[in-house]
Amino acid sequence: MYVWIWRRLPGPTALRVLQALGLFLAVVALLFFVVFPWLEPYLPFDRMSTG
Amino acid sequence: MSSPLSSDHRPAGDDRAPASRAPQAAPSVPHRRGRDATRTAIRGVGQLLITLGIVVLLFVVYEVYVTDLFGSQKQAAATEAVDKVWASAEVSPADTVAVTDPNLLVTDPRQRTPQYETLSGEGFAKLYVPAFGSDYRFTVVEGTNSDDLYIGPGHYDGTQMPGQQGNFAVAGHRVSKGSPFNDLALLASCDAIVVETRDDWFVYRVLPMQEEVATWASTSHSHCVGIGVQTGAYEGVYGREITVPTDYAQVLPVPHVDSTAVPPDAQRVITLTTCNPQFSDRERMIIHGVLVQSYAKAPGFLPPELGES
Repeated sequence: MYVWIWRRLPGPTALRVLQALGLFLAVVALLFFVVFPWLEPYLPFDRMSTG
Repeated sequence: MSSPLSSDHRPAGDDRAPASRAPQAAPSVPHRRGRDATRTAIRGVGQLLITLGIVVLLFVVYEVYVTDLFGSQKQAAATEAVDKVWASAEVSPADTVAVTDPNLLVTDPRQRTPQYETLSGEGFAKLYVPAFGSDYRFTVVEGTNSDDLYIGPGHYDGTQMPGQQGNFAVAGHRVSKGSPFNDLALLASCDAIVVETRDDWFVYRVLPMQEEVATWASTSHSHCVGIGVQTGAYEGVYGREITVPTDYAQVLPVPHVDSTAVPPDAQRVITLTTCNPQFSDRERMIIHGVLVQSYAKAPGFLPPELGES
């Protein structure tokens, strides 16, 4: 999977590293701002009221 | 992440590497293809598992740190909204004489009835704990569902309002979502919990802890005036209690008494609830305090209790 992505990134190695970093950050942002907020109510991690 | 280059740098000892395969007879092409497909599949599964592991770790980072950012944004918005409401309710300063002597502003809580409405998810009071620093303040919203508690500490629906007889009960997150109640474990008996509403300041103080009961009579700290070991219907109500999540009686008018009726001689109690232990929701930590002082709000006046540390 990662090899496949790496081979399709254009440019020299330094440029590819930058692009890979950009992709990684984009995925993290997607998780933090879209996926996790949606997922959170379904997980029972932080109920702190009584009753 | 695994290095994308790893497939091009096989270890020297890898018997499947082309170099070590060279002296042998050239393997048949289909056989090699089959092995490559297996390698690709195994590598794919490995990378997938590593990726999932990293996603789970990122979720922990999200819960513990990122939700704090979102929570403090929501808290700031709620504070701004309640400040606006209070500002519009205030009489213009020109009509009032500036009073800053606490003794002149002391009120009888029996004469103060809340003159405000509360809406689910909207702020109506502010909570101060001077022992946590002068910057510790949270706007308390109405309601305790997960959306309410993301904004800040939430008032249990159906429990009493600040200053009233009965129980003003508030829940808050221990970790994540702004972490308002992270430090409740550090509260000591007689520490002040100050609640500001539209028209009033209410000063509550934490009750004696269970382990202090035996020696309480010899306590002589000036903050502890009016704070005593609870008796009668209130016997067994301590400053800090650890209980099970289903213990709803903690937030009823008389804590531990399974009735929603407010007895005529009921005290004015504050109850704070949060998760226990930290990072878990296995138990609940409960803080109980009683009202010891109340002041009318006046421009430029802050209760002297806010200056305690």
